[in-house]
Amino acid sequence: MQRNVCVVGVGLADGPVTPNLTSTMLEAQGFKRALDDAGINKNDIDGLASAGYGGMHEVMLAEYLGIRPRWMESTSVGGSSFEFHTMHAYRAIQNGDAEMIAIVYGNNQLSAFGRTLGTGGGGGRGGGMQMPLPMAYEFPTGLTLVGAYAMAAQRHMHEFGTKPEQLASIAVQTREHASRNPNAMYRDLITVDDVLESNLVADPLHKLDCCVISDGGCAIVLTSEERARDLAHRPVYVRGAAGGSTHHSINAMADMTRTAAALSGPKAFAEAGITPADVDMFAMYDSFSYTVLVVLEDLGFAPKGEGGAFVADNGGNLRLGGALPTNTDGGGLSCTHPGMRGLFLICEATRQLRGEAGDSQVAGAEIAVAHGSGGWLSTQGTVVLGTEARS
Amino acid sequence: MSWKGETPKYLVPRPTLEDREFWDGARRGELRIQHCTTCGQHQHYARMLCSHCGAETLEWVTASGNGTIYSYTVIRKNGVPPFNERVPFVVASVDLDESGARVIAAMPDCAPDQAQIGMRVKATFRPASDEVAFVDFAPA
Repeated sequence: MQRNVCVVGVGLADGPVTPNLTSTMLEAQGFKRALDDAGINKNDIDGLASAGYGGMHEVMLAEYLGIRPRWMESTSVGGSSFEFHTMHAYRAIQNGDAEMIAIVYGNNQLSAFGRTLGTGGGGGRGGGMQMPLPMAYEFPTGLTLVGAYAMAAQRHMHEFGTKPEQLASIAVQTREHASRNPNAMYRDLITVDDVLESNLVADPLHKLDCCVISDGGCAIVLTSEERARDLAHRPVYVRGAAGGSTHHSINAMADMTRTAAALSGPKAFAEAGITPADVDMFAMYDSFSYTVLVVLEDLGFAPKGEGGAFVADNGGNLRLGGALPTNTDGGGLSCTHPGMRGLFLICEATRQLRGEAGDSQVAGAEIAVAHGSGGWLSTQGTVVLGTEARS
Repeated sequence: MSWKGETPKYLVPRPTLEDREFWDGARRGELRIQHCTTCGQHQHYARMLCSHCGAETLEWVTASGNGTIYSYTVIRKNGVPPFNERVPFVVASVDLDESGARVIAAMPDCAPDQAQIGMRVKATFRPASDEVAFVDFAPA
């Protein structure tokens, strides 16, 4: 019989600007805070996952942290890697392959590379990116990471009449959440006009449609329901998880208005025994405003093509009190984005389901969805969390 | 408006065993793509297998060079030379008239406010080294 699996510890490293910490130091800081949060010792950890660096990173990290895991995972599919890690950790604990798994990420992206990730820097040597297939065809065109998402947004606007004001509304509502978070990078309230008057980076995306670049780190700990009962916090249950990929480079995204979230979402929701209407809070990888809009549709929160109306209606459905409070910590758009954000989503969803979100608490939150998007809308991972196991 | 001058070395692809046919063609002013004799579809870039049906039955053909913009963006910020001096410029995903093949390309001869989804475009060729030429697109 399969065991129920719970998130029992979450930890945020310092941020959003940490010029005196390396990426590994940020990982260690998040790890220690997640252990402390769960009320466990490092020797309780028998599984470790991480992503974002070269090969064998999680092996190095285990040595650095002084742990000897018997389960390891380094799926590296961009910013959604950590939803895939959570899915795999969930299966491993369900089936008894591991008892207590830590998933860890840290990166001093801002301090090491500045704000270059989206506009050509990429962190590559000498300013250029390496050119494995299919990038040998893309990179010489001058397309940037922001530009890839911009092409997809442009297509959505063309097919469905989605407006720049609607995309901007996502940034405005996310900033409102950030204004309540003392650890957010940007906290001053903004308007739709502020977004539209900020510089275009790649049409139709403005600077304020793009996530921030920060430093930071994060860790979570998962274990079985049996073990969770003895630990510090009320457990948060993993109820379903699924992932998928449709392409690598944006040019190979056959339909730029539909992501693999349309595959991962229904599968994860079915496993969790929920429908979109049951979701109280959404932690969504907001690399760009468009990422939020297209995935809202693909997960079924709004019909295809009506994401623009959904986010802006009702005074803003992503706000506290809206139909789907989203990125209540201020998201990547305003709070923190140290290269990849996938793990922060599970952290924030857990905080909400524990009732620890303070001024940003979604009253009575029982079901939360954390959804990561990686690459150039390439990989999508959905994790459904709840205050109770599926009955 | 056209992109003249020398292309930095790090931007110049090195032909491989798999895609030399494409780059040789571009040097001659031909857009070479693969056609699958099993399913009839085309693909760009070169692969061992047909990405549509999975067959190995691929042959090289010369495309007409005509296509339609599926989507595009205007790059207004790029920190990497030489693009930092070229902004703003158009990059487009172009569906070729040959079914199944889509090409990503710069459009150095298209003004930013001229680009549109659905616009008919034609391939042009910009030599980058003795071995390769970039395939750009321009309004038809």
